[in-house]
Amino acid sequence: MDEHQSAIPTYEGDLHVVAAAHHIVKALGATKNLSHDLRKILIDLDTHLSMITSNIDSKGGRGFFDVEERLKQAERKIVSWESDPVMIWDSGPRKASEYLEAVDEIQTLIDGLRGLSVNENRKQKELLHHAAGVLQMAMSRLEEELVHILVQHRQQFKPKQMSSHSNRKDVVYDESFVSVEDEPAEETSGRNCSSDDSSEYIVDLVHADAIPDIKSIAKVMFTSDYGQEFCEAFIGVQKEALEQYFATLEVGKLTIEDVLKMEWTSMSSEMNKWTWSMKIIFRVYLASEKWLCDLVLGDFGSVNPFCFLEISKSIILCLLNFGEAIAMGPHQPEKLLRLLDMYETLADLLLDIDTLFSEEVGSFVRIAFHELLERLGDSAAAAFKAFGIAISSNRSLYPLPGGGVHPLNKYVMNYIRMFPEYCDTLNLLLKDQDAGAANPVTEPEYGQNVSLSTSCPIACHLRSITSSLESNLQKKSKLYKNEALQHIFLMNNVHYVVQKVKGSELRLFFGDEWIRKHNAKFQQYATNYERATWSSVVSLLKDDNPGSSSMSKSTFKERCKGFSVAFEEVYKSQTSWCIPDPQLREDLRISTSLKVVHAYRTFLGRNPAHIDDKCVKHTAEDVEKLLLDLFEGSPRSLRSSRRW
Amino acid sequence: MPATEYPGSFLGRISIRRNQVIAMDGNHEQELEDLELFQKHVSDRFTELLSPPDDAPVEAPLSIPWLRKLLDVFLCCEAEFKAILLMGRDPSQISKPPLDRLIPELLDRAVKALDVCNAVTNGVDSVRHCQRLAEIAVSALNQKPIGDGQARRARKALNSLMSAMNLDEKEGGSTKTTERSWSFGRRGGNKDRAPGQFRPLSWQVATNWSAAKQIQAMTTNLVAPRGGEASGLASPVYIMSVVMVFVMWALVAAIPCQERSGLATHFPVPKQLSWAHSMIGLQEKIGDEWKKKEKKGMAGLLEEMQKMEKLGQSLIEFTDSFQFPGETEKLEEAAAQVAELAETCRRMEEGLVPLQMQIREVFHRIVRSRTEFLDVLDQGGKSSAPLV
Repeated sequence: MDEHQSAIPTYEGDLHVVAAAHHIVKALGATKNLSHDLRKILIDLDTHLSMITSNIDSKGGRGFFDVEERLKQAERKIVSWESDPVMIWDSGPRKASEYLEAVDEIQTLIDGLRGLSVNENRKQKELLHHAAGVLQMAMSRLEEELVHILVQHRQQFKPKQMSSHSNRKDVVYDESFVSVEDEPAEETSGRNCSSDDSSEYIVDLVHADAIPDIKSIAKVMFTSDYGQEFCEAFIGVQKEALEQYFATLEVGKLTIEDVLKMEWTSMSSEMNKWTWSMKIIFRVYLASEKWLCDLVLGDFGSVNPFCFLEISKSIILCLLNFGEAIAMGPHQPEKLLRLLDMYETLADLLLDIDTLFSEEVGSFVRIAFHELLERLGDSAAAAFKAFGIAISSNRSLYPLPGGGVHPLNKYVMNYIRMFPEYCDTLNLLLKDQDAGAANPVTEPEYGQNVSLSTSCPIACHLRSITSSLESNLQKKSKLYKNEALQHIFLMNNVHYVVQKVKGSELRLFFGDEWIRKHNAKFQQYATNYERATWSSVVSLLKDDNPGSSSMSKSTFKERCKGFSVAFEEVYKSQTSWCIPDPQLREDLRISTSLKVVHAYRTFLGRNPAHIDDKCVKHTAEDVEKLLLDLFEGSPRSLRSSRRW
Repeated sequence: MPATEYPGSFLGRISIRRNQVIAMDGNHEQELEDLELFQKHVSDRFTELLSPPDDAPVEAPLSIPWLRKLLDVFLCCEAEFKAILLMGRDPSQISKPPLDRLIPELLDRAVKALDVCNAVTNGVDSVRHCQRLAEIAVSALNQKPIGDGQARRARKALNSLMSAMNLDEKEGGSTKTTERSWSFGRRGGNKDRAPGQFRPLSWQVATNWSAAKQIQAMTTNLVAPRGGEASGLASPVYIMSVVMVFVMWALVAAIPCQERSGLATHFPVPKQLSWAHSMIGLQEKIGDEWKKKEKKGMAGLLEEMQKMEKLGQSLIEFTDSFQFPGETEKLEEAAAQVAELAETCRRMEEGLVPLQMQIREVFHRIVRSRTEFLDVLDQGGKSSAPLV
């Protein structure tokens, strides 16, 4: 401030020059439509000139008259609002800018007065003190105005609009592993990876019109050294806004204890909510909040990341804790898909999180989520392992009536049908896990042309899963006392597995060779069935003496009777058996029909003389027709209907 | 890491010895020795917390540095406990009675402790908020000379600080909304701060969650082992449980937390257990303090917060009666208090973030140990299953 000192003129001529300059500056300052910066420069200049003037004849303190006058003017503006119940920024932009100008004026006067503080001047001190008091009043008011603006211009956006919901309609697989009894809905609706449309979605959390106002308040508060107050108010309002928004997402506030005790269905829905809350909160809300913070606080250095962190911290901790609680819990197989969703969501968001919290103050957020990702990955791998173990250790006490497709099979196949959609993640997570660890499998020979999809980790794991499923089903088939029913059961189930593989992306991982082998397998079971059921029946119709033209009547009668009894026996039991797949049922009936009806017709045709109603209970046409009743799953009886 | 200070060699010794003797029947004596050592270490550590040795810096109980020591003690005890129970031990030993009941009970307590950790983490954030308000007051009152404007500025910050401290816990209280007036507008010219209409959700662990009840629930089934059990592995499980409950209890008493009424109710630790003497001493001390302060409604027994409250109150009085230029005597008195408040802020600035990190570390340690115990129980369950 030596400059000022040396610039103070000592004789009257200079005083005139200063007065003239002062006059010009004042005239210029009165011009309307000045840019803010220019006006500020003029005001500064004005103040300096005032100071010079006042210092020239400052002995009695009367020289501060001009400064005092300006201070009083500005003070009047500021004080007049104190008793006014209306908010300044609600009273129009002119009022607001007038107010800001008054604050600017006071700030300028304070700066000017401070610049002269080398002189022990009572008047100057008095003015400074007075100005600081007025400034405090204004700052307190601006803080309230800020809060008011932020609340008034808060923009509501509904979570639904963000359409960040996962497209996966696999709610049906939310059933717990052990509870599956019903056929899951066959609707195929995988997720559509490309529809993940929540990328970079900045919304206005505060109406764009209000941003310049907020910025100007920030500027004046920071310039006046009231930055801390600004931050506390800003953090308070924005934090509350985030919390209110978070409440609309209906993410339950859950303790870890709650999560660990939770029923699977509620847990599954909470896990779903978490995944899409994470997306909305980080990608939309916090990205927008960061944008707002950058706009408002971008000029104030480390204050910006600090405020952003304070605003978002509590919600982030809440999301983090749910993730931790899930990662802690037992990793039942049914959690696998949800865990994979959580894992993929977080993996996908890590870059956003790293960017949002790139500064040192946010490092713990970055670290925490990176660690959480690792834990979720471990959990998913553990659930995958548990899935395999659950399949091989699933035990039944009683055979499934009718020999149809076992619920375990349905559950497993419908569940793993979702795996290809998580292919990359699963490959990553299962890379180091031995596919055969839980259940050693001999990998089928795939010849020279092993395509990538059939040799990746998930492909090996998938084949291992179906292989332990098959051996479990083998065990379950032993529960049937009837050998033929064992074959029907296995035929049905292997056929089901093959259909599921063929009808989905699973086929890429299993490969044609596998499908061929398994096609042959269920056909073999069909053949085994025919042999087990019909060989003995058909053998009754065989001609023991191919040489002789026909058998004796009594032999014929006896054979006929034997056939009817055997056929009725088969009819009675096998109408209650079940082949759910219509094509498979049809095929088996045709091939049975070909074998049995043909043999029966030949048998009857060879002995036309003996045919009468008494011994031939069923015509070949009857038999052909009756065979259509088999495998429908509704028991019928021929004898009982006749007996009565 | 103080965790390595005490038991480093101890852990090594246990594992080596156990490996040598595990196959023999004579390991009972070794075990007794291990248990005795564990008890001694627990006792020593708490004695140091109660009355630090002469060469150590004296930290006021429930101050930030003291709490950090307490958490170190927890981590040390926990590491040693795990070494005794798990290291080189056949899983089937853990899954035998009475441990097959005691360990799951311990893990249940551990889960409850995790929620306490989270509640306390939130609490530390509200302490930090208080710290920032106090800093505003400090910077206003550090101006020379103090003007009416700065006095008003300080008073405003201090009033916010007081309402943030004296939040009504049952309201699920907020440190933030209490200082806001905007929801009531400026009508009537009433500039007094009215409580906000909105309840902050983030502060809560969950609706209706109560820190006091959580602590109480942690003491369910907490009974000292008797008779033959007292000399076996049931004893360290009991000790660890008591340590855990005590540490969580002390954290809740110190740091603002959701719903703490009735916290002073002691959990029963039999006085005849020698390792618990110092802990009981601390417990009585803190409990008495709590009873004294509970009625007033306060932010917690954290030494720094209490100091802040006292200084804040007297500085509010100062600013209330302040008129420029102020009396020299009062100014000097205030300057001393401001310096003390600044020092308290500095201690908070220095200690709160590390404290929060440490709480997080405790959290993760508990999670990890729980997993390890579950794994062992699982293995033990499997290997012993065919025998049953």
